[in-house]
Amino acid sequence: MKKIVIASAVLLFLPLFSFAGEYAVISNKSVKSFSESEIKAIFLKKLTSIDDITLVPVNLEAGDSLRLKFEEKLLDMSFERLKSYWTKEHYLGHRPPVNMKSEESVKAFVKKVDGAIGYINSNSVDESVKVLYKWSD
Amino acid sequence: MYKIIIILALVMSSYAQEEYQLGEGMQVASLPLYVGGYFSSDYKNRDNVISYSLDDIAILGYGDYDKFSYMAEFEYKSFYVETHTGDTVDITKDRKLHTERVYLDYKLNENYMFRVGKYNSPIGFWNLLPVNVLRDTTSSPVSLNILFPKFTTGAGISYSSYNGGETKIDLMLQNNSDLDSDYNNYTVDRHYGFNFSYEKEDYTFKLNGGYFRNIMSYSPIEPDEPHELLVHPQDLYYFLLSGKYDTPNYQLLGEIGTQRKESEFTTNYAGYIQGLYRFSEQHIGVVRLESYDDTLHDMKDDIAIVGYTYRPIYPVAIKSEYQIHSLHLENQFIFSFSMMF
Repeated sequence: MKKIVIASAVLLFLPLFSFAGEYAVISNKSVKSFSESEIKAIFLKKLTSIDDITLVPVNLEAGDSLRLKFEEKLLDMSFERLKSYWTKEHYLGHRPPVNMKSEESVKAFVKKVDGAIGYINSNSVDESVKVLYKWSD
Repeated sequence: MYKIIIILALVMSSYAQEEYQLGEGMQVASLPLYVGGYFSSDYKNRDNVISYSLDDIAILGYGDYDKFSYMAEFEYKSFYVETHTGDTVDITKDRKLHTERVYLDYKLNENYMFRVGKYNSPIGFWNLLPVNVLRDTTSSPVSLNILFPKFTTGAGISYSSYNGGETKIDLMLQNNSDLDSDYNNYTVDRHYGFNFSYEKEDYTFKLNGGYFRNIMSYSPIEPDEPHELLVHPQDLYYFLLSGKYDTPNYQLLGEIGTQRKESEFTTNYAGYIQGLYRFSEQHIGVVRLESYDDTLHDMKDDIAIVGYTYRPIYPVAIKSEYQIHSLHLENQFIFSFSMMF
């Protein structure tokens, strides 16, 4: 009876854990470790190179749910605030990070390009990339 | 005007790698060239003088290659201005395409960057984004027009470092004539200035100082009046202190500056404090209190400005403001529509 109760409890709460996604900011292995505030500076193009390596932040496409989570958690900026930021930067001659269509593309780009930094689901991380930061819902 | 239309038509017909976003320009083919632009139109009503204008029609292009980057911006300043004074109607059309910015940057490493060309003097908060659509109000603080040269033509050196906060130091070096001198508040043949700024989280502080030599007469009240060569050029020194606290909901901004000749102050003080509240990202209210005492141009005023801005999306701004001056003939209502593309 006790086993049945435990099994039922596990089955009952398992879906809750599976919905709590875990995500990772990843970089090319050429890049040193960065703090949370430095990652923000890289994605706002305030920090553009380090140790003679050009930093290349990559975003998922606008509207992607993981991108929205990243911008809310790491950049602490809403879509509208980021729009105003990049409109001003456009006048100053600066471009926003490039967009990639999928997490697979982000991972492949980060693996291949020196200085590249992106974000993907944690369960897609492997030894080909370096994990800079992890967060969950 | 036709030049801008032709350039835009060429750009629109080319294939770009990136999807176009309003307010962020677009890439020309797969070249290291991005183009964009902006325009502004406004209505002003001051003591029964009413004016309608279409101005600041500009196109800009920029890009980077390896450690080099560049910027070029050309603008029609007062493309069409219609002024009604009683029964008199005056129409002016300035069709000269001005060179607003042209410069080349070389990024030496993560800290140092060198620049040559004509650029916005990196002084205070307003002079780096001197475009209606990017400003909080249609008008700019008077201190922007009287304390320092808005543009520098020459060299620039920047140092920046990021360590939790962002530290930036800029040096402005000009020892030659302005490029397109009509398009500057002061006409200068020398300008040596510095900027120190520190930004961390919601706070930004800036300190500016410098020297310039003014060689032409200039009226900040009537900047479009013809300038005359000064018999005795003026050696002027300026100093400006700025601070900003910016949160998602509200912003506090303040600047105070002064200007002097060797023997006396030419601007005893010029400054303002401004509060901005975002009811939402679309609806923004602004209150600004300004005061200045400029002996160089014999002007002194206290100004209160109340403004409201509606941005359906950020690159489009519909703004209104009412200004109350201690010189009550200067009281005015301003309405503007501006866009960046």
